[in-house]
Amino acid sequence: MSTRLGKTILNETHKKLGGNMVDFGGWEMPLWYASGAVKEHLAVLTGAGLFDTGHMAVILGEGPDLRGFLNFALSKDISRLKTGRAGYGIVLDDQGFAVDDAIIYPLSEERWALVVNAGMSGPVIAHLKKLPGSEKYEWTDLAGRLAKLDLQGPSSFRILKPLVAGADQVFEKLPYFSFKGDYDLPSSTVRLTDGTPVLLSRTGYTGELGFEIFLPIDRAESVWNRLLETGAERGLIPCGLAARDSLRTGAVLPLSHQDIGAWPFINNPWPWALPLAGDGSFTKDFKGRAALSAARATADHTLPFVGFDPRKVEASGAKVMLDGREIGTVLTVVADMGLGRVDGRVVGLASPDKPEGWNPKGLVCGFVKIREKLEPGTVIYLKDDRRQLKVEIAGDLRPGRSARSPLK
Amino acid sequence: MKELNELNLPSSVRYHDDHEWVSVSAPYRLGISDFAQDALGDLTFVEMPEVGTRLTRGEEFGTLESTKSVSPLLSPVNGTVKAVNEELNDNPGLVNSDPYGAGWIIEIEMNPGELDGLMDAAAYKAHLESEGGH
Repeated sequence: MSTRLGKTILNETHKKLGGNMVDFGGWEMPLWYASGAVKEHLAVLTGAGLFDTGHMAVILGEGPDLRGFLNFALSKDISRLKTGRAGYGIVLDDQGFAVDDAIIYPLSEERWALVVNAGMSGPVIAHLKKLPGSEKYEWTDLAGRLAKLDLQGPSSFRILKPLVAGADQVFEKLPYFSFKGDYDLPSSTVRLTDGTPVLLSRTGYTGELGFEIFLPIDRAESVWNRLLETGAERGLIPCGLAARDSLRTGAVLPLSHQDIGAWPFINNPWPWALPLAGDGSFTKDFKGRAALSAARATADHTLPFVGFDPRKVEASGAKVMLDGREIGTVLTVVADMGLGRVDGRVVGLASPDKPEGWNPKGLVCGFVKIREKLEPGTVIYLKDDRRQLKVEIAGDLRPGRSARSPLK
Repeated sequence: MKELNELNLPSSVRYHDDHEWVSVSAPYRLGISDFAQDALGDLTFVEMPEVGTRLTRGEEFGTLESTKSVSPLLSPVNGTVKAVNEELNDNPGLVNSDPYGAGWIIEIEMNPGELDGLMDAAAYKAHLESEGGH
C-alpha cells in the first residue's frame, strides 16, 4: 500500500478486525472484514452492520441567504427544506453533468452542510466558488475534524437507542432523511450517554433502516467499539465497502462517478433529485437546467436491471445487447446475495411473501446506460469477452427495504 | 488478509503460480489455494465446465465470482474434465471454508506427468513471498 493513501482515524482498528484493506478513492479502506462480504451484506438486511465512512467529506457553508444560493447550485429543490430535514441533490455543471452528489443539511438559514464523496470537497468547493453570488459565502472543509460511522440495518435503532442520552426525545419525530444535532459538535444538543456530542442523521447508503453518526474524531474508536460490543447480540458486525456497494445497488442508489458522472443527469432512476413538477417541468432555476431540458429527448436512459442467478460480467467495457443490437454500456454490476427468484419472481430476504425456510442464492443486478427507454421486464443481454448474460430491465431491485420503517 | 504464515498449504497437492492446485495422485482433483480464496473473498458463484471438456494448460475453463468481481479459473494441466463438484452450485462458499477438501472444483483425467510443471508447497510458499503477496 502506498503511504500516501488517506487513512481514517479507525485505520488500525480495521486491520485488527481482519479488514482486507484496499485503495478506495485515495483512502485505505476495508473491503471486507473476517466475516466476509456476503455475511456483511446479509447482516445489514437481517440485523445490522457498522461502516466507517470517515473518508467522506463534509463542507460547511456560511453566509446570508444560503438557501437561495444552494437552491441554484443543487439539482434538488430545497426552497422548502426545513431545518432538521436532509435532502439529496446533485451538484451539476453547465452541461448538466454530475460533479458529485450530496446530502444537504440546513442547520439554520445561514449555515448549511453538504456531505459529498471521498476526495470531493476540494472540487465541489471550487465549483461553488465560481457560481454567481459566491463571494458572500465562506466554505469550510471539515476534513480531519469529524469522524462518521454508519449504523445500518433493521436492528440499528434498537442497538443505538440505549447509547443515546435522552433517547426518547432524540428519536421522536426522526423520519427517514431527517437529523438532529449540529456539525459544530461541541455545541450539538445530541449526546451519547458517555457524553460524546454527535450529529445524528437518519440516512445511509444501504436502503435499510439506519443512521449516519457524525462525531469528534477523537471519540470514533471508543464509540465504534462500544457499538460493536453492545450490538453483537442483535447481530451487529463491522462491514466493508464491498457490502456497502452491493447493498446500495440493490437499493437502487447511484455511486457517484460510476452511475452518475460526465453525462446529463436526466432519464435515470433518481428523478427525486431533480426539481420536477407534476407535469415534468422544472420548479426552479438551477445550474445545468438548460442543458438538462435540452438533453431530455436525446440523452441515454439509465435503468436498473436484475438477472436470474449471481453470475456477472466485467462492468468495464461490457456492452448491452437488445435483439442482437448494441444499445449501451454497463455502469454497475454486483451480486445482491439477499435476492433470489421464486417461480420467476424476484424475492428478497425481507419480502413478506417469501416461502418459509427459503434462502436466496443471490441475483446479479446493477445499472445500464442505454440509448432507448425500455420497460421493466424487457430482456437484455450483457456481453463481455467471456459471456452473454441474460438479465431484465427492472422497476425496482431489492424488495422489502427497511429504510422508512418506523423506529421501534 | 491472511499473513503468509497463516496460510494453509498442504503437501498433498501441487500448486500453479496462478494459485490453482492439483492432487498429487489420482483421483486428480483441482481447486484453488488458501491464498487465492482469501484474496478473492466470499465466493458467490463458481462456473464449472461440463464433464468431458478438454482442458489446455494456461487456458480458462471456468470462473470464480465474488459479489463484485469475476476471476478466471485457468487450467494448470492438459486433460479432460471427469467430474465437477455439484455441491458448489448450492454452496460456493465451500471454496472459502475448505479449499482443499469439500471446496474442490473439478476432477481431471490426465497423464501423471502433467504434475511435473507444478510447485510443491515449499516452492509455492517461496513464490508467494517473492510476489510480495502480502
